[in-house]
Amino acid sequence: MTSIAIPRPAYAERPWILDWLTTVDHKKLGILYLYTTMFFFAVGGILALLVRAQLAVADNTFVNNDAYNQLFTMHASAMLFLFIIPVWAGFGNYIVPLQIGAADMAFPRINALSFWLIPPAGLLMFSGFLFGGASDVGWTAYSPLARSSGVGLDLWIIAVIILGVSSTIGAANFMVTMFRMRAPGMTMFRMPIFCWTMLVTAVLQLLATPVLASGLAMLYIDRNFGGSFFDPNGGGNAILWQNIFWFYSHPAVYIMILPGMGIISEILPVFARKPLFGYKAFVFATMGIGGLGFSVWAHHMFTTGAVLKPWFGFMTFMIGVPTGVKMFNWLGTLWRGSITFEAPMLFALGFLSMFLIGGINGTFSAAVPVDFAIHDTYFVVAHIHYVLFGGAVFAVFAGLYYWFPKIWGRRLDERLARIHFALQFIGFNLAFFPMHLLGLDGMPRRIATYSESAGWETLNLISTIGAFLIGVAMIPFIINVVMAFLRPKDQPNDPWEGNTLEWWTTSPPPVHNFDSLPEVHSERPLWDLRHGNAAH
Amino acid sequence: MPSTGKLRVIRRVNLLISAALLAIASISPAFAGWGMPEPITDQAKRIQDLWVFTLIIAVAVFFAVEGALLYAIIRYRKKSDALPKQTHGSTALEIVWTTIPVLIVITLFSYSFIVLRDVEKKAPSDALSIEVDGFQFSWQFTYDLARLGQGQAPAQEGTFSIIGTAANEPTFVIPVGEPVEFRLKSNDVIHSFYLPNFHYKLDVVPGRDNRFVITANQTGEFTGQCAELCGINHALMRFHVRVVERAEFDTWVAEQVANKATVRQP
Ligand code: HEM
Ligand SMILES: [Cu+2]
Ligand SMILES: [Cu+2]
Repeated sequence: MTSIAIPRPAYAERPWILDWLTTVDHKKLGILYLYTTMFFFAVGGILALLVRAQLAVADNTFVNNDAYNQLFTMHASAMLFLFIIPVWAGFGNYIVPLQIGAADMAFPRINALSFWLIPPAGLLMFSGFLFGGASDVGWTAYSPLARSSGVGLDLWIIAVIILGVSSTIGAANFMVTMFRMRAPGMTMFRMPIFCWTMLVTAVLQLLATPVLASGLAMLYIDRNFGGSFFDPNGGGNAILWQNIFWFYSHPAVYIMILPGMGIISEILPVFARKPLFGYKAFVFATMGIGGLGFSVWAHHMFTTGAVLKPWFGFMTFMIGVPTGVKMFNWLGTLWRGSITFEAPMLFALGFLSMFLIGGINGTFSAAVPVDFAIHDTYFVVAHIHYVLFGGAVFAVFAGLYYWFPKIWGRRLDERLARIHFALQFIGFNLAFFPMHLLGLDGMPRRIATYSESAGWETLNLISTIGAFLIGVAMIPFIINVVMAFLRPKDQPNDPWEGNTLEWWTTSPPPVHNFDSLPEVHSERPLWDLRHGNAAH
Repeated sequence: MPSTGKLRVIRRVNLLISAALLAIASISPAFAGWGMPEPITDQAKRIQDLWVFTLIIAVAVFFAVEGALLYAIIRYRKKSDALPKQTHGSTALEIVWTTIPVLIVITLFSYSFIVLRDVEKKAPSDALSIEVDGFQFSWQFTYDLARLGQGQAPAQEGTFSIIGTAANEPTFVIPVGEPVEFRLKSNDVIHSFYLPNFHYKLDVVPGRDNRFVITANQTGEFTGQCAELCGINHALMRFHVRVVERAEFDTWVAEQVANKATVRQP
């Protein structure tokens, strides 16, 4: 076995707190990202429980209409902009340099900037609650409604622009890192699949986020400086906002899910003891989803009557094809494998079974006439959550359980993890499956209350119980993490028999990541070392 | 090292997933109309047929894939330390499972394209035409006495309106068995005119002339509401439609004409 020596830079010792505040180490920044985003996940979750509490029974007055609009707006804004998009940057920060055998990200200081933009933006967004109310126009901020909303919306606009800057410069950083800093022998097609998904995500962010930022700037001008880009009474166009917004926000859906798919594609091969089935097909499918993602935005606008429905319907159907390819590749990976069911694998399998539903129930909206019926109803709320919770959040937990020993040097308890998984899986389906039926039956989304005569009470109550069960599911997880931190760091380099370079170095890795690197001959360098190239 | 502990996990996972599947399977047939409310227009019937067709394919795909997943989980759990065969992929398979979804997608698209064309047919020029104004936070329904439908020559000129408030939900009336056109108008923000039994909604966009046509095929009273967030009382923007026989409709119109100050007699 040959290995390549790595030159070791010198680092000055600094006080603990100063060290965390000024660090440019991708691992520490990754940890900061993870803490921050999990915090906002908790905040968004609490807002969601308040929403569900209000909807538990008909004609409820737990919160008033005004508060309700703020609650669901801030729930979605926190979950999307402060949790799910940056959480991938957190995983990416910690894992990508390790997986490609680099000592850090390409631009460590820009990396620190990307992170440090997030906490103030989050505070800004939520500070609306102190100034007469947070934004209350939905995370989509449709104009002209958004022209007249309070100052909370201005704060929201500025916060989202700042978060956009964070993810745009972060994206550039990831791209350069992966293009320029791969270990010797690691060609693009030997790069771990998680890196590939981060790369495609970065490209989407770089292309789409500036469009949103421009739209937000226009909205800010409309609101504060007498503009009328989106105001028909001033010669503007209300639909223009929707076109700009969705031109960003549909690709953003892939920004929110592709890295999760990448994590799943790392975990399945390890716990099935087989390579990812169709690695290249998977890469091309990821690119295909990214590319098609730019041609389907108006499927959110079929009921405006202002878009070319057959075209966007067709493209939306088409995007199911590369998604299907991925599903089959995952199944192919499991097929004839030798599967074990540790915590990361449980959540990965949970992802497969739930994301499948999120993929299938999305195609209904591609059938345009069916979309006329289900658009803006709870059917869509079900769809969003089967993708973003059943998909993305299950992938977040899969990734946390998988890389926890690497990041913190300690292992999480398997029994608590199983309890967490069972509760979350059941709670999730109880909370969100009934929403399909509510939506079909005509319950619109974003309504603060519904009348008893509508007959929606039972299903809503079930949904609320499920939501609180999800909350309960977080208890074993938190206990697990706290208990792990009380134990000493005892994890070997490679507790799962992993495939990729992060498992080559110590857990946690030293500041400079690697003392040496093995030669890379495939996308599974560690597997090759363990079993020899013959086992290929 | 497949310990009994691991086998227990596997069994639990299996149990869990099958329980979830069972729950899903047992809920769905309980809802008549395949989950949708009763379609009360010719157009809604077409949309429901498309929904059912799509649903059948979706459920088939769901069970096929979820079944394969469950099978793999049970069948290929670790039984010995022997390494499984390291298959890296198969071009033939990739082509097959790209082609099959493409075919399904083309089928679904073609069918939905045909339905789309049919439900978006323009109204005949002599159809009953109602102007629907969405405002924060209710609806106004305006009938033009010169466009009351049924092909008869306009008897009179002028209009009358039904105006609701969030607290006093408006009810408007349409005749069964003939085309009715809705012209949607808003002067404040975007609303969406949604009647679940139409299986249809269309946004009410300031500055846009959005219209659609339905032909009701049964009588009764039905409830709809705004489906686009429009401000604080969005949830209260409900309305009702009464679908009646033509004769009853004519009587209703006569009453309205007699009572409403908004009518301009020629
Ligand atoms: C505890 C888990 C969660 C519960 C109980 C929950 C519940 C809800 C409910 C009831 C709504 C509909 C509100 C309405 O339309 O009036 C909603 C909307 C939404 N949720 Fe969640 N949610 C959860 C987690 C998540 C996660 C993890 C994400 C994303 C990563 C997310 C993203 C969204 C989005 C984007 C909306 C749409 C908001 C809008 O219409 O502006 N949710 N959620
Ligand atoms: Cu979209
Ligand atoms: Cu509304």
